[in-house]
Amino acid sequence: MNPLDKPFAQLALVLVTVLALPLFLKSGILATEILIFAMVVAACNLLLGYTGLLSFGQGIFFGIGTYVAGIFLTRWSVPVPLVLAGAAILGAATATLVGWLSIRRQGVYFVMLTLAFSQLFYFMAYTFSGVTGGDNGLLGVPRPAIGGNALDGPWSYYTYVAVCFVVIFALLVMVTQSTFGRTLLAIRENEGRAAAIGFPTKLFKIEAFAISGAVTALGGALHAMLIGVAPLSNIEYHTSELILIMTIIGGSSSLFGSVLGAGFYLLLADALSTIWPRWLLLLGLVLVAVALFLQGGLWGLVVRGYDLIFRRDRAPNTSAEEH
Amino acid sequence: MIYLFQVLNGIGLGMLYFLLAVGLSVVFGLLQFVNFAHGAFYLLGAYLTYDLTTRGFSFWLAMPMATLIVACIAAVIEALLLHRIYKLPHTFHILVTVGLALVIQEMVIIAWGPLGGSVPAPDGLQGVVIWGDFIYPQYRLFTIGLTAVLAGLLWWLLEGTRLGAIVRGGSESPSNMALLGYNTLRINTAVFGFGAGLAGLAGALAAPIRGVEPFMGIEALSVAFVVVVIGGMGSYTGALVAGLLVGVVQSVMTTLWPEGARLMIYIGMALVIALMPRGLLGRA
Amino acid sequence: MIDRRRFLTTSALAATALAVPGLLTRAHAAGEALKIGIPVPISGAFAANGKFATMGALMAAEEVAAAHGVQASTLDLDTEGKPATAVRKVQDAMAQDGVKLFAGGILSSESLAMGKEIERGGGAFMTTAGADEITGVDCNKATFRWSVPTYGAINETVRPIIDALPDAKKWYTITPQYVFGDGLLNAAKDVFAEKGIEHVGNSYHSLTDKEFSGYLTNAIAAQPDVLLLLNFGAQSSDTLRQAVSFGLKQRMTIVVAWASGLEQFEALGPDICEGVYFGAQYWHGADTALNRELVAKVQEKHGSNPNYSFAGSYICAKLLLEAAVKAGSPEGAGVAAALRGLKYEGLTGAEEIRAADHQVIKDYYLLKGKAKADMANKDDYAEIISSGKSFLSPEDAGCAMPA
Repeated sequence: MNPLDKPFAQLALVLVTVLALPLFLKSGILATEILIFAMVVAACNLLLGYTGLLSFGQGIFFGIGTYVAGIFLTRWSVPVPLVLAGAAILGAATATLVGWLSIRRQGVYFVMLTLAFSQLFYFMAYTFSGVTGGDNGLLGVPRPAIGGNALDGPWSYYTYVAVCFVVIFALLVMVTQSTFGRTLLAIRENEGRAAAIGFPTKLFKIEAFAISGAVTALGGALHAMLIGVAPLSNIEYHTSELILIMTIIGGSSSLFGSVLGAGFYLLLADALSTIWPRWLLLLGLVLVAVALFLQGGLWGLVVRGYDLIFRRDRAPNTSAEEH
Repeated sequence: MIYLFQVLNGIGLGMLYFLLAVGLSVVFGLLQFVNFAHGAFYLLGAYLTYDLTTRGFSFWLAMPMATLIVACIAAVIEALLLHRIYKLPHTFHILVTVGLALVIQEMVIIAWGPLGGSVPAPDGLQGVVIWGDFIYPQYRLFTIGLTAVLAGLLWWLLEGTRLGAIVRGGSESPSNMALLGYNTLRINTAVFGFGAGLAGLAGALAAPIRGVEPFMGIEALSVAFVVVVIGGMGSYTGALVAGLLVGVVQSVMTTLWPEGARLMIYIGMALVIALMPRGLLGRA
Repeated sequence: MIDRRRFLTTSALAATALAVPGLLTRAHAAGEALKIGIPVPISGAFAANGKFATMGALMAAEEVAAAHGVQASTLDLDTEGKPATAVRKVQDAMAQDGVKLFAGGILSSESLAMGKEIERGGGAFMTTAGADEITGVDCNKATFRWSVPTYGAINETVRPIIDALPDAKKWYTITPQYVFGDGLLNAAKDVFAEKGIEHVGNSYHSLTDKEFSGYLTNAIAAQPDVLLLLNFGAQSSDTLRQAVSFGLKQRMTIVVAWASGLEQFEALGPDICEGVYFGAQYWHGADTALNRELVAKVQEKHGSNPNYSFAGSYICAKLLLEAAVKAGSPEGAGVAAALRGLKYEGLTGAEEIRAADHQVIKDYYLLKGKAKADMANKDDYAEIISSGKSFLSPEDAGCAMPA
């Protein structure tokens, strides 16, 4: 194992990221968005990298978190910690349902099933506009307050999100290091063998889904508070696609890869969109290039670089992700 | 009475959906390749038809030309790019084809602008046919006829010819085909070009109905996915049955419960996958 | 990262510098440059609107700079058509670049979300989006709207047609199922009830539909005299195109209540538009002083006629910038005070910004598509049948302006 993959190295990298973003970015909002997506993408990675499940339904849970924040904060002024807990619980519940139904199928059929669910939930949010605000969304979602002061400044809210992010990331690292997490890896490598040994593989997959859904919904709720609105677009299929693309770009062999994936994508999109109206073309080329030349994702690149500098004597350890 | 009309209209829609989806299904069957750029080839077919007709070409010339150009472009993309990634996990198929779809869509905007345009139905097919209260555009009737003929041709090609046997053999066991001395690389390129060409043709045929606009590929892709998943991936007959089914359901729902039309289709799709893992007619 | 935004503003500054070299030094002394953010969808499904909107705002900034001897520049913000991106870019522009003025927001969902955010940040915002809530239940101190809301759009299209076609007693509607569509539909139903029109049916569709043959089949079965389309943008183009192919133009009158203007005519072409009625916020053929001036300028600079996206963005940016000049600062409170109750000669003639709900009181046009043979030039797609002002009172619109 590469030393960078050790849990403490991962946590240290996350802490460095959280502290370094304010130094390098002028925009606190962009920095906050990066952390929120880093959390959500890491949750997607728990499914893709650790369980081998390519879920096209992460937008469902993100959207649900968004709506929980939107509804409870604008209609009833529920305290924010309760709202976050509620988002996580509802996200976990929905993910359990979607996971339970989807894992009956494998390979591309699994992908397509999650895709169908993401469309289903989008049209539900669209159709039941009395609850979700439909296309207009839910407006005026307030930021959390600490000691009576609303965190209206971009960097004060960044701090709030950063604390949530570090805690969640540490929990995710603990999950991957636990017996549960190691079993997930075993399922990914060879589901038949894991089942033969006596692991309830289906239950484990559903649990992975539930954890992923809880974290994603939490991210969705934090996002609604960041932008002050719970928009329909958060539950769209494009959000699912976006989360998945960030996960693949970051590399699915390490949780910190997801932080890199989210940061890289959002910074790139932000920079490109100010250069050229047709910036999506450049983004498309980047995606193709990553698939061709960077199959370990950005994390693979980091590990390769680390090996080159510090571990010349040993065999490189950068096999591409497979499942 | 209105339901009868809606069923008829749905059959017309379904034939277009079949054409859109069958290429995706064939490519998936042979190459086990998830192609998120399929809608972009549809878009390209529509815009090439638009471009050629505004340059004064007749629609009858523009349609096959657009189809052929799309097929060639797709074959080149396959030969240069895609064949490198077949063996990688599906994640990379998605990444590459999503990227490719973005590139094609933005290039369409650069070439033809963001506004879109109309393609007139070809001369002689601009009127409508009337049966009692039911009105139907001649051009739509023509597309039903044409896709029916094409469906027959495709069936013969895939099920009745040596080429079809090779394609099916390749999808079941690529290594055996290589042992038998077939150049699977070249077959893959040809099949991918063929599948994309069908999407291009669907775009060309849809242009006089829908007009063209740069984001038409995204909607086409989602329809194609639904049809392929319901029908069963890699299944020709499945694409036909599912295409018609989706068309008819969509059309009837517009009278029955329009708000829930989309919801119904995706619920149906989820049910089919949950109950019939290979789709209605997918090969086991 | 730090300088990328500044890079974009240079073109406007350069143009200003060329236009008024002598005034530049004085403007420097007078204070900082005026910056206006243009949050519009530059990529994504509404990219066409965004492209023209940025051009229109730039022209307004150059004009104000030349007329008042100040520096004025635009800052294009690509919202990608998503409220989340729109809000983030607006927040960034306020926090990073100190931008207080914003003109844009073509989609309702974006505009509603941005309006709240700009109010929170002490700025001023003018939009052309359609949702009634913008100057209705969700009205706020910072948000102004130039376009006519659904009530006026329906009253200025449906009423004149009912008057012109006394025999057309049966109307069928096709409506996108969301708040904006329902706004148009309810306004239309009120007019139908008042005028004794039989509403023979309505088809709801979702915002993602592109295939309308099923809805058209419903409409044909109801045998109406008039087909009223209440959707907008690409969807109304798709519906109209398919309606024409079903031969409905020969069987009934077709009305598009909320057309996008010239850009939509260009996409549809004259054959489809001929004989169809369109409701429009703006038409380059309108005979008003400011519009003639604008058309001449755009012809000179871009060699084309201004469309709705261009003109709407132009007038919003111009009003905001001029208000900031008058107030002596771009701070939201001062700009809003300068705008409230303002009467001016606008693109549609005499326009007024109603103080109670920040709605601009302006004309809405009813156009009728011309035959290709009757078009005087390539953009002469339609003639103006009528125009007029219809607005709900601020109370009826539901606006309780926060103090």
